[in-house]
Amino acid sequence: MTTPRFWLTAAALTASFGIVAAAQPPLQAPVQAGVQAPAPIYTAAQAGAGRALYATSCAGCHRPDLGGTNEAAQLAGGNFIAAWGERPAADLIAYILSAMPPANPGAQGPAGVTDIVAFILQANGAAPGTQPLTPQTTTLIRAVSMRQAPPALAAAAPQAAPLAQGAGARAGGAAAIDGAPGGAPVPVGPRGVTIRGEVANYVPVTDEMLRNPDPGDWLMVRRNYQGWSYSPLTQINRDNVRNLRLAWVWAMNEGGASQPMPIAHNGILYLVHTGNIVQALNGRTGDVIWEYRAGPDQGGPMRNLAIYQDKVFVTTSDARIVALNARTGERAWEARVADTAKGYSAATGPIVIKGKLLQGLNGCDRFKETGCFISAFDAGSGKPLWTFNTVARPEEPGGDTWGRQPMMFRAGGETWITGSYDPDLNLTYWGTAQAKPWVPASRGMSALDKALYTSSSLALNPDTGKLAWHFQHAPGEALDLDEVFERVLVDADGQKLVFTIGKPGILWKLDRQTGAFLGHKETLFQNVFDTIDPKTGSVTYRADIIEAKVGDWVTACPSTQGGHNWQAMSYHPGASLLIIPLSQSCMEIRGRQVEMKEGSGGTQGDRRFFEMPGTNGMIGKLAAFDVRTMREVWSYEQRPSFLTSVLSTGGDIAFVGDLDRNFRAFDVRTGTILWQTRLGTSVQGYPISFSAGGKQYIAVTAGLGGGSPRNVPRLIAPDIRHPTSGNALYVFELPE
Amino acid sequence: MRYAHCLVVIVGVMLAAGAPGAQSADTYKARLGIAPTDANNQPFITGSGAITAVLRGARLSVTGTFEGLQTAATTARVHLGPKGIRGAAILDLTVTKATAGTLQGELTLTAAQVDHLKRTRLYVQVNSEKAADGNLWGWLLRAD
Repeated sequence: MTTPRFWLTAAALTASFGIVAAAQPPLQAPVQAGVQAPAPIYTAAQAGAGRALYATSCAGCHRPDLGGTNEAAQLAGGNFIAAWGERPAADLIAYILSAMPPANPGAQGPAGVTDIVAFILQANGAAPGTQPLTPQTTTLIRAVSMRQAPPALAAAAPQAAPLAQGAGARAGGAAAIDGAPGGAPVPVGPRGVTIRGEVANYVPVTDEMLRNPDPGDWLMVRRNYQGWSYSPLTQINRDNVRNLRLAWVWAMNEGGASQPMPIAHNGILYLVHTGNIVQALNGRTGDVIWEYRAGPDQGGPMRNLAIYQDKVFVTTSDARIVALNARTGERAWEARVADTAKGYSAATGPIVIKGKLLQGLNGCDRFKETGCFISAFDAGSGKPLWTFNTVARPEEPGGDTWGRQPMMFRAGGETWITGSYDPDLNLTYWGTAQAKPWVPASRGMSALDKALYTSSSLALNPDTGKLAWHFQHAPGEALDLDEVFERVLVDADGQKLVFTIGKPGILWKLDRQTGAFLGHKETLFQNVFDTIDPKTGSVTYRADIIEAKVGDWVTACPSTQGGHNWQAMSYHPGASLLIIPLSQSCMEIRGRQVEMKEGSGGTQGDRRFFEMPGTNGMIGKLAAFDVRTMREVWSYEQRPSFLTSVLSTGGDIAFVGDLDRNFRAFDVRTGTILWQTRLGTSVQGYPISFSAGGKQYIAVTAGLGGGSPRNVPRLIAPDIRHPTSGNALYVFELPE
Repeated sequence: MRYAHCLVVIVGVMLAAGAPGAQSADTYKARLGIAPTDANNQPFITGSGAITAVLRGARLSVTGTFEGLQTAATTARVHLGPKGIRGAAILDLTVTKATAGTLQGELTLTAAQVDHLKRTRLYVQVNSEKAADGNLWGWLLRAD
């Protein structure tokens, strides 16, 4: 009977002799003279089965190469071993069984999870044998793993869809993992146009339509360039909304994270599903007209499409833009935004500005030379036009704000929410995510290193990508409290304003011509900043946050759930109110030690969550703020968190959905609930309003999956339950 | 007339100060929610509760209930920490050694502790067999 201590010793000896060599497939246990190889603890058959399960259930978040992204941790390599190496395999099995996948923990069952862990062990260099892994296996993970993930790991990644793939092609059958040891073929679904049809009487979308959209259309992210999430339609109003009824419902693809915003043009809805599926639907009946499958089948959320001239544009989770014929769904062109093999991905689609597609980027958290950027492409051809680096390179302005870190170790700065645009000033406004890893000590920096242009508002010239101004909300961000969300453009009292709010819950008011700070409002309790200068907006972190070392727990209210998150606020011009979904939770966070090498990085934090003190357990808060005074005009608090953006309308109603399946209409001016219904599962996404055949409709998605907005309530409010399937588009109408 | 005015003022002052021999009471309340949790310890950190604390001078009377724990409560204490931030235990309460029950305490606070209470720097934490570093907690907030 061997003991864990023996294997620890063996591993240490192995390392000290410098024999942690890269294995060549087929994997062998690392055997050296004088050092006994650890006995294998899983079988090849288990790893093969686990590989297939991983590909379909885990790879969408943790990535096919196990490299992780954002909140999904790396599962191979030094950072994984640092986090799990001293724990028995049984602990990892128990953890996955209790917590993964987040939307449906334990769904794979003990046998499936054990197989997945066998695959993870294999990916970390552990050799298979005849002894099967079980949920009782007490062998330490470090004892059987090589610290370095083997090169063969790369072969575990299903190939990204080829750029030139023909419409209607089937790429089914074995994927790239066939050659990997113990591998099982991963089925790849159909690609291209999978349902054929044609949109009748399609009218091309012009620049003028984008600037001044028809009241019945919803042509872009948050509907207008100013990012209002407001529909001027008035048929459904305060007086009759109580009569709202379901017109039709359309089931959507399951799996992954579903958080979409449909777009609407001339009564046709264009809808993006998880798995990078796009459909055109008849807005009156819900009948499908065409469907295109861009692949890959797994991946993170895709929040919005774009439409321009005769094309609909979908950005895929593996960072490609695919232009589709809006009439038929046939692919017109395809362009790569960034190299998915380096961890890049996308979660939001483009905004079209004067014939250019402006596209954000996710997955910038891994260490690499190429940093993070916003891109522009020609809408007609897909030709790349310009990029703006959201992570300043050493030779660029702001390049001296990353401490002594070379470009390789400057991570973060993602643009995972699509920007806004002021046609008069010809400036586009984007928010950027924080530097990565989350805690400055983990990234070898200090909270006093600003790390431009992370956690900032950026104003860019859309013609050139040149920076007009920037305002950094949280220099040296230290707690995974993004400032990346929507930028809402409002004119008031002769001022041209841009509003934004991040996870700290601070509503910022800036001059959108100059970037000058004009004011702020703490919309809920926060304790991360000791001071916020009322004249400059400059923030000062609490001392223990600045001083935190790797492994130090610090507290933050709000938590990474936000404050505010991707669920966008709405500006109601009639009431001059910003109606904002907020969440009230707190956390403790500590940074991990991070391996400083290419491909490492990630987020690398541990977090523990709790209810925000003083809220009586009311996690969800919906509040309206006057754009002139920033005063809170009304608020509504409830136990479930809000999971949709706010849609306000010319009928003086604000619609919003929540975790507990509620979809409600509030009086914009008072916060009174005017109508409510319950959907099949949690209500998640971006509700819109559109008209078809002269009639107004309200569309909203029920959806599952996502990061902190889902994971935090699951931990601190387990009393709220909902079905673990049920992605669907619901459309409501008034009776005839 | 002047005498009547004086009498009104004196009576008013007495009412504001409370009846002769009595001290004014300030009431504080806390919801006991789950202490910081992650996916590893969530199975052991469940439950909820409520606390009422009445301050008379330096005397703090604490009563409360809790329910829904996975393992029996072991200790309950008043801690000193700014809102949302952990701090050291400073005072003991008595608690039912079960998964549901009551907690209480008659405490004499120092002047500094009274000040902390008024500044929302005191919280109550209930520990349990499998959540020794906190199962439930809640900050004492003035009930207005």
